[in-house]
Amino acid sequence: MIFYNPTDNDVLTKRIKYNPRSAFIMTQLGGVKTNLLDEILSQLKTALNQKEIHSLDANSLITGKDFLSKIWNLALSSPIGIAVLSENMQQTTVANIYYELGLMNALGKETVVIKTPKFKIPSDFIRTEYIKYDNSFEKKMDSFLQQIFEQAEYYGVMADSLIAKPLLSIDYLRRAYLITQEDVYKNRALEIIKSNKFDEHTSMMVNSYFDIS
Amino acid sequence: MLYLQYANRSDDMSEKKKVVQVKNPKTGRYVKIDREKGRIVAHKKSDGPFKNVAVARKRN
Repeated sequence: MIFYNPTDNDVLTKRIKYNPRSAFIMTQLGGVKTNLLDEILSQLKTALNQKEIHSLDANSLITGKDFLSKIWNLALSSPIGIAVLSENMQQTTVANIYYELGLMNALGKETVVIKTPKFKIPSDFIRTEYIKYDNSFEKKMDSFLQQIFEQAEYYGVMADSLIAKPLLSIDYLRRAYLITQEDVYKNRALEIIKSNKFDEHTSMMVNSYFDIS
Repeated sequence: MLYLQYANRSDDMSEKKKVVQVKNPKTGRYVKIDREKGRIVAHKKSDGPFKNVAVARKRN
């Protein structure tokens, strides 16, 4: 896959540090959070911990780079994007979250919106899966995470079925590996890499998917 | 390696293995793949599998 640097639109030619088995949490970070938002974030973290998925947000990366680069790197490196939206958030915060959600959708990541009961989803996101925060939140969140792991299995089967196109196959394995961090996907990708000749740039990108030096 | 389960059996098994289908959990719909060409050839618009196409599954 070719990725573009968001700040100058040039093709990215450096290795990307991926974060397997992680979720990028897109929500309000600064300012005063409502008790409800704090409660949602706390329950979300518990649900992710139970599945051994570590959560990342824009405060997780401390770099000297600009904020857009930081967000872009998080969106690219994580397999899962979780937007948490509340009607009490400022419009600018909500706009930022939608930008990040759209970015993750475009990158083929697994995404979900968690919303407070009164928050209204705009029409462009009507097909994006969403979870309304209520008494059954824990059950719904567990179901969503279970579906993601099923999706990883699907990617694995797709990778096998598309083996005639090695790069397509590797891309499916990349997504399965990022979700599960299971070596079976990495090893299958290694076999494909060994049995095909890729140019230097492609090799570098593919190796970075699986953290191969 | 794939474990293939046939939705409908036929005498021409080898020909059938060239095209398989997989259920996408996100949509609940089947996707048909030409394995020989490494190409997704169709997405089923309705519930249930394509007829006479092997279902590719994860090996247990």
